Amino acid sequence: MNKIELLAPAKDLAKAKIAIRYGADAVYVGGKLYSLRSRASNFDLSDLKEISGFAKQYGAKVYVTVNIVFHDSDFYGIREYLKYLEKIGIDAVIVSSPALIQIVKREAPNLECHVSTQLSSLNSDAVWTLRRYGADRVVLGREASMDQIEAIRKKVSVPLEVFIHGGMCSNYSGRCVLSNRMTLRDANRGGCAHSCRWKYRLYDGDELISDPECLMSMSSKDLRASAYVERMIKCGIASLKIEGRMKSEYYIGQVVKTYRRMIDEIYERGSLSPDRLAYYDEELSKAENRPADDGFLSGECDSSKHLYGVNGAGVTHDYVAYVRAYDHIRNMAEIEVKNVFARGDEIEVFGPELDNERFKVQLLFDDDWNEVEIANKPTQILHVRMPFAASEGDMFRKVRRNDD
Amino acid sequence: MELLVTLRKKSLLEKIEPIVDGVIIGRLFTSAYNYSLQEIRDIAEYCHDNALKCYIAMDNFISEDDLETLDAYLMFIRELNLDGIYYHDLCVVERAIPYGLLPRLIYDGKTVLCNTLDTAFVLSQGIRSAVISRELTLPEVRHIVEGNPHRVDMQIFGHLRMSYSRRKFLTNYFNEINREYDYLNKETLKLVEEKRDYALPIMEDDQGTMIYTDYIFEMFRELCDLRDNLRAGIIDTLFIEDESLIVQICRDYARLTPENREFIRNNLIYNHPDNYSTGYLYQKTNISKDE
Repeated sequence: MNKIELLAPAKDLAKAKIAIRYGADAVYVGGKLYSLRSRASNFDLSDLKEISGFAKQYGAKVYVTVNIVFHDSDFYGIREYLKYLEKIGIDAVIVSSPALIQIVKREAPNLECHVSTQLSSLNSDAVWTLRRYGADRVVLGREASMDQIEAIRKKVSVPLEVFIHGGMCSNYSGRCVLSNRMTLRDANRGGCAHSCRWKYRLYDGDELISDPECLMSMSSKDLRASAYVERMIKCGIASLKIEGRMKSEYYIGQVVKTYRRMIDEIYERGSLSPDRLAYYDEELSKAENRPADDGFLSGECDSSKHLYGVNGAGVTHDYVAYVRAYDHIRNMAEIEVKNVFARGDEIEVFGPELDNERFKVQLLFDDDWNEVEIANKPTQILHVRMPFAASEGDMFRKVRRNDD
Repeated sequence: MELLVTLRKKSLLEKIEPIVDGVIIGRLFTSAYNYSLQEIRDIAEYCHDNALKCYIAMDNFISEDDLETLDAYLMFIRELNLDGIYYHDLCVVERAIPYGLLPRLIYDGKTVLCNTLDTAFVLSQGIRSAVISRELTLPEVRHIVEGNPHRVDMQIFGHLRMSYSRRKFLTNYFNEINREYDYLNKETLKLVEEKRDYALPIMEDDQGTMIYTDYIFEMFRELCDLRDNLRAGIIDTLFIEDESLIVQICRDYARLTPENREFIRNNLIYNHPDNYSTGYLYQKTNISKDE
């Protein structure tokens, strides 16, 4: 049996490398064109080539999103683009246009076609239809319950991909154009303004019926499907997908690493104990900036799965530094500051090979070797003495005291 | 071009029968116009007797649990010998084939059918027609329609659906604020974003929640140049309670010519003032974050 794939998002080259280093089997990225996350930095052609080569060193795959809802003019240059992706060794494109599947099969037959969640495939016959169109994999809609996912899987041989973590569209993907009306940005061509997360007054005719203290919102809690990973593995899902092409390297590193360990443990031990699941949930919560739940996997989404009184995502300040290098002779890490921390703070370090080792910051220097009391300049390069070795790509997060 | 109207009330049938070519009804798996099976049977019979075409809409996604119900529904549709089925979920194609209904299918992807190639591709699957997206400019509409003559339907009047969710937003909200309210299938509820002033109709039914444009889309000035190549133009009457207005709109579109289109449009605006708009026909929506 093939091991289930862990598929991670990346908005730029650096984050794609982090995802792969932290254990993703595959990454999905957007090019400068044809991709739904226009606010992500995205990859130019040389970045795509570089990440393709980098992934191969790690035995990982790269999928490129070409999943906008195409208007006629958007097809300009698509054939050359697909041929380029095939030439540089990209493994698959993620598409939502049935006609584009035909173009891929004709122009770049070595690229697999994965059908995007934009088509909201929620039953086995929809999956079969897409298979007939030429799909090599189908990403299921996030509105399917775990029971329904298992039922679909029993009926189809097409590899299925399921979202397990991250932000949730509150509407069916691809069927929401609130942004178009409210901001003139096309939600289906990378311009989503997340109007569903805004606050609204509700009227019946001319009568205001919403609570002024708690306006209506369609905002959804994020998805965290850790409790379902074992069932997904056992029912034969091909790929577990993490959402978040706009997310930070900290989110990518922490979430990918946690699911990597969880999946490996399930394969090694056959199942996951409640204690171990609780541990992994705790790890995932360190990277969450919105409350999370299991979405539709357990059935309907009632009011407990919505966010009221919150406009957007909160910002976590736990992530304080990124390790650029480690000097084994001086026992010093060269770090890039991400958020504020100071001498005396307790830091937890994690990385692809490092599991939550802690130390108290005692010696901190700038690039001119002047002692620093407080690290409060984002992107500043500092040097910190550590009691254990770190590696490039490891990350620091501040351990919150009880009174924080 | 067939002139079709969504039938919000059975009582409208007699009034619009001499004017339009057909009606669109729905019940199971649909967002509005809830009729019992017997009412659907009665409407279909009336349509057959009066040379009026009768279509049914299934404009929602279908879960794995509902596939058997869909089969029963398709058998019912075959028995009634309806003229066509507007469908949203791709599974309907697979399920309709054994019932011989494939040539009666009309794909309505709502927001996702935005180009000539995809339109041609879905039509190549053996279905009758496809409804193009409402988020298109007039040149884009013209290109798709002319590229697929007599195989394309489009909405020509009514509020445009902007979002569709399986989540029951109204149920959840009233639970959150601990308020009991009669809201299901209600056409009078509206959302106003806290920093904007326009009101978006919102409706929840047993399939989820839908939000529509604040404005009523119309294309009196544009339709004449398109209709020779369109298969059908659809007047959507959801949220339009005034029956006399619906009849007037049907009549206006039925008698539309290049010579009278300005008069018809101005007359509508004068006699039934409301928030009318040509939607995206002259308004691109691909503004990037930098713009």
